[in-house]
Amino acid sequence: MDKKLSSDLLRGHTDTIILKLLMGGDKYGYEIIKLVYEHTLKLYELKEATMYSSLKRLEENDSQITSYWGDETHGGRRKYYHITVSGRKLYKENVQNWEYTKQILDQLIIN
Amino acid sequence: MNNKLTNYLNGVFVPYDGVKSVAELKADLLSDLQERFRELKAEGKDDETAFEMTIDSIGDIEQTIQDVANLSRSLERQVLTNFSASNLPKSDFAGVTAHKGKFEGSALRGSDFAGADLTGSSFKSSDVREANFDGTNLTDCTLSAIDLADASFNKTILVRTEFSKLGLAGAKFIDVKLIDVKLTMIDLRKTVFENCTFNGVDFKYSDLRGLCLDGQTFIGVKFDGAALNKVTFKGATLRNVSFRPAFALTNRNYLALKTISFDGAIMDKLTYAALKGLGVDFDLSKVTVI
Repeated sequence: MDKKLSSDLLRGHTDTIILKLLMGGDKYGYEIIKLVYEHTLKLYELKEATMYSSLKRLEENDSQITSYWGDETHGGRRKYYHITVSGRKLYKENVQNWEYTKQILDQLIIN
Repeated sequence: MNNKLTNYLNGVFVPYDGVKSVAELKADLLSDLQERFRELKAEGKDDETAFEMTIDSIGDIEQTIQDVANLSRSLERQVLTNFSASNLPKSDFAGVTAHKGKFEGSALRGSDFAGADLTGSSFKSSDVREANFDGTNLTDCTLSAIDLADASFNKTILVRTEFSKLGLAGAKFIDVKLIDVKLTMIDLRKTVFENCTFNGVDFKYSDLRGLCLDGQTFIGVKFDGAALNKVTFKGATLRNVSFRPAFALTNRNYLALKTISFDGAIMDKLTYAALKGLGVDFDLSKVTVI
């Protein structure tokens, strides 16, 4: 049986996915997209638009992330994103909420 | 090829030129797209395919741009002309340009806005009595819950201007061309209109009782639900004008409409038929139908 990846379900967790990646170190936009692509075994490609919606929202609202321009590389300047203390806290909350939701979902659609 | 990406993004972002946060998003995006394009080329894709794939990776960017613009709009709005909560009676604003200016909760009694360009500005909850708007450009302005008593509107530019729920007693509109203007829910009984042209004007739910509108021109005007007792349209020109009463044609509404005077007015067949169709026994004997 063919399995399909539910992109809609993934998209709802874009904030958490990005926060998780930034927990491992500062990253620039396209780097985040490439990592998501690799980590999902090339099954899910985050769109630029979806990612920047999340990045800008996280940066603006309660500054869960901050950004800075990196040094000049051969391809031009890159803007790096950095997770703040409040961002780490949000990540932990989101993980807990997801664990809980997952249990309830299993209860509803599997068990 | 880099130019092609830049041109593409310029096209997408053009409606938001000048919004700082959006310009930053554009720079982020451009650097990502350039890197992706280079990688695709390195994999052996030709220019055309690499460009298509790069553009395809963006997704629904218009929504994102709007989100970003909305996030920062509250901050950037503050740099606009903002005279809210200011005490500025008898101030001189003659000839100024203040697009999207804000005048909320301001005391502006007797202020002079003659010849000013206030396109897109808003006046709310302010005292603007006796103010001078002669020759002022009030295109796309919204005026509500303010007092404009005895204000002067001489040759004022009124395009899509919205007046609602405000005081206009003693205000004078002279030689004004009102285009797609809204004058809704206003007591106009003591307002003066002289030598004006009303094009697409909406008088919904306003009180025009006893008003003299003689000799003026009305094209595509709506008087729906307005109080029109004893209004005179003597020698006026009316084309495609609508007079629908607020609710059913009750006795009271019937009597109110019957008091309107159309002596010597010129009207098109549409307006004439609409008046006849109301079932009110108007005296239309002195009307010229064109």
